[in-house]
Amino acid sequence: MCDALGIVNFSGTNIRVRGMEDYRPIGAFSFLGRYRVIDFPISNMSNSGIDRIQVYIRRKPRSLTEHLGTGRHYNINSKRGKLHILFAEGKDENDIYNTDISAFLENMECIERAHNPYVVIAPSYMVYSANFDTLLQNHIDSGADITLLYHSVDNAKEAFLNCTTLNLNRQKGVLSLEPNRGNAKDRKIFMDTYIMKKDLFIELVKKAKSLSSMYTLADVVNAACNELDVRGISHRGFFASITDLESFYNANISLIDFKTATSLFDNENWPVYTRTNDSCPTQYFETADVKSSVVSNGCLIEGTIENSVIGRGCVIKKGAVVKNSVILPEAIIGENVTVDCQVVDKHAKIIHAKEIIGDPKRPGYIRREDTL
Amino acid sequence: MKQNNMLAMILAGGRGSRLHDLTNKVAKPAVSYGGKYRIVDFPLSNCANSGIDVVGVLTQYESILLNSYVAAGRRWGLDAKDSGVYVLPPREKADANLDVYRGTADAISQNIDFIDTYSPEYILILSGDHIYKMNYAKMLAEHKTHNADATIAVIGVPMNEASRFGIMNTDEEGRIVEFEEKPEHPKSNLASMGIYIFNWKLLRKMLIADMKDPDSNHDFGKDIIPQLLNDGKTLYAYKFKGYWKDVGTIDSLWEANMDLLDKNNELDLNDPTWKIYTEDVTTLPHYIGPDAKINRAFITQGCIIEGEVKNSVLFTGAEVGPGAKIIDSVLMPGVKVEAGAVVQRALVADGIKIGKDAVVGSADSEHIELVAKRVKGVE
Repeated sequence: MCDALGIVNFSGTNIRVRGMEDYRPIGAFSFLGRYRVIDFPISNMSNSGIDRIQVYIRRKPRSLTEHLGTGRHYNINSKRGKLHILFAEGKDENDIYNTDISAFLENMECIERAHNPYVVIAPSYMVYSANFDTLLQNHIDSGADITLLYHSVDNAKEAFLNCTTLNLNRQKGVLSLEPNRGNAKDRKIFMDTYIMKKDLFIELVKKAKSLSSMYTLADVVNAACNELDVRGISHRGFFASITDLESFYNANISLIDFKTATSLFDNENWPVYTRTNDSCPTQYFETADVKSSVVSNGCLIEGTIENSVIGRGCVIKKGAVVKNSVILPEAIIGENVTVDCQVVDKHAKIIHAKEIIGDPKRPGYIRREDTL
Repeated sequence: MKQNNMLAMILAGGRGSRLHDLTNKVAKPAVSYGGKYRIVDFPLSNCANSGIDVVGVLTQYESILLNSYVAAGRRWGLDAKDSGVYVLPPREKADANLDVYRGTADAISQNIDFIDTYSPEYILILSGDHIYKMNYAKMLAEHKTHNADATIAVIGVPMNEASRFGIMNTDEEGRIVEFEEKPEHPKSNLASMGIYIFNWKLLRKMLIADMKDPDSNHDFGKDIIPQLLNDGKTLYAYKFKGYWKDVGTIDSLWEANMDLLDKNNELDLNDPTWKIYTEDVTTLPHYIGPDAKINRAFITQGCIIEGEVKNSVLFTGAEVGPGAKIIDSVLMPGVKVEAGAVVQRALVADGIKIGKDAVVGSADSEHIELVAKRVKGVE
C-alpha cells in the first residue's frame, strides 16, 4: 500500500502541441487508438496502490472531465479512493500567472485535507510505466528530501526540446534543473515526476508564491536544490514526452512495433485502464490489406493500412491508403484517398483531397471535424 | 420499473448440451459470441436500451461464472437507484423444499416472491440464449394497445423449416387463435421467439395453479400458453423483423459468427443507437504484424496477428503466429495458434493452444470441427 496522495499535473505554458492542443489539454489526447495520454499516469498510480488522486486541469476541461468521470474505470476503490478533478480557476488559459503553483494554492485545502504523508506528482502529458510504490520506498530508504524521476536519452539535440533536464552529481544528487536547449545529445530528461513528503510539498508551493508569481513547481525545486537533498532516480523502459506534434506522432508510431510496446505494456501485472466506449470489434472486408499496424475496435476497413495507428470507430474506404499515420477516433478516409505521415484528428473526413503526404520528420496535421 | 411498470426475467438455466464441450463448464448464455460478447449480453443490453431497469436472471446449470458475470449490472448501465440485475438460482425457502427449476414456468413460479416485491403490472419473459436486438418498449406498447392478456414475439421463418418451431396461427389482426408445437403440417410460418409479455396478476394466478398440477411440464410453451388459449384469453403476436438466432449447435454458433462478416449484416453491432454492452476488458488494441494478411474478418481488442486470417472471427486476446492460417474459423477468447498451424472450418474453444504447424479442421468437412483440447505441434 502506497501511502501517498497522487497529483497529476498539467503542462506549462511553454508547451504547445501544434493543432491538437487547440481542442483539448495534452492529457486528453487520444493515444495508441484506444487510450488517452492521462490513462498512463493514472494507471501507474492505481497499480501502485495510490487511491486518492487529484487531477489538475489548466484549460479546456471538457474532454478530460468527460473521460475521467468518476474514475471508476481506473480500478480505484470506489469508497475509500477518490479521483478529484481540480481546476485552475479564474485565469486566462495562457496567462503567465496560470501556473501549477497557482492551481495548487487555489486548491490548498484539498491537499492539506488528504491524510497521506507523501505526495507523488506525475505529469498528464508523458507516457511511461513506473511503480510509484517501489519508488516511494526507495525515496524513504534514501533519506532524500525530494526524489525526481529522469530518463537518459541520446537524442536530446533533436527531441525533448521543451523538456527540462537534470544536472546530477556523481551521487545522483540534483544540482539544478535546466531547460533542454538542444546543444548536447546525451541528456537526463526530467520526467516531471516528484516524490516528497506532503508537508514539504506544501511548504515549497507556499514559498514559490513569495519568490515569484510566475514560478512553477520545477522552478521552486530548482531553487531549493542547494538547501535540500534532491536526488534523481533513473527510469528504464518506454518513455515519451508528448510535448509537440512530432513527439506525439513518434510515440504512437514507435509503439506499433510489438517489442517496443512490451516495454510499456504488461497487461498481466500492470494494466493500463481507460474508459470503454462499448464499440463492437473491427470489421475487415474482402479488399482490406493491413500490415504493421495497431487497430482499435469499431472500425470498418476496406482499404490499405501500413505502419499506422487507427483509432476507435474509423472508416477506411475502398482504395484508400493510410501509411505512417496516426488516425484519431471516428475519422473517415474516403475512397482512393492516400494519407501518408499525417496526424488526422477526431471526426475528420478526407473525401475530396486525394493525396495528403507529409514528411516523417514533420508530420502533417488535419484538424478535428475538418472535411477535406 | 417506474419507467414502464414492467420487470424482465431472463431464463438462463439451460445447458445447451448440443454445444458439447463448450458448455461443460459454463451455461449456454455465458458462451462467447461475436468477438467480445457473451450471448446473455444481448437480452441484457436490449433491456437496458428499452428502458427496463429491473432484470432477474434465472440461473441453474453451471452457474458460477454466469452468476458473477450478470451480477455486475453496471456493465449494462443497470446500476442506478431502483435498478439492478438480480441473480436468481433455485433457493431454499421457509415454506417450500429446495427444488431445482423443473421448467421455464416453474423458474418464474419459484420467484413469485421476488417479483411481488416490485408488484409490476407487466412481466417480460426472455430467453438468455438468443442473439438479436429488440426494443421491448415497442412490444409493450402493442400489448397495451391490444389490451392483451399476453403478447408473444414471433418471427417469420421459411415455411419448410416451420415444423422445427412452435408456430402461432393468428387472425388478420394478429390475435393468436392457435399454438402448435413443432407441427408436422404448419399452417403459418410465425415462430415463437420465446419472448412473452404477460399481465402479472393473471400470470401469477396461473403459475400458482400450474405449480400444483402434477401433470404439468411447468413450461411456458407446453403448458401456460395452451392453457391461456383454452381459457379464451386475449393473446397477440408481436411480429419482429430483423436478425434473430438461437444458437443450439456448434454449426449454428459458427454460422452466427460468420454472419458478422457480411457487409451491412442485419445484426449491425456497430449501431451507436443500440449498442450491445459487455464486460470491459483491459487489453491493448489489436496488433497486426508486418507479414500479416487479413481479409473478411471480425477482430477485437487484444488480438495479435502475425499470420493470415480469412473469413474468420477472432475473440479477445486471440493470437495468430507467423505463417499460421485461420480460414473460415472462429477463435474464442485467448486462443493461441502457433507458427505455421492451419485452422480451417473450426471453432476453437476458449484458451486453447494449437501447436506449431498443426492442422485442424478441413475445407470440405460437413460439420464445423469443435476444438476443445490442446492440439500438439508437429515436432
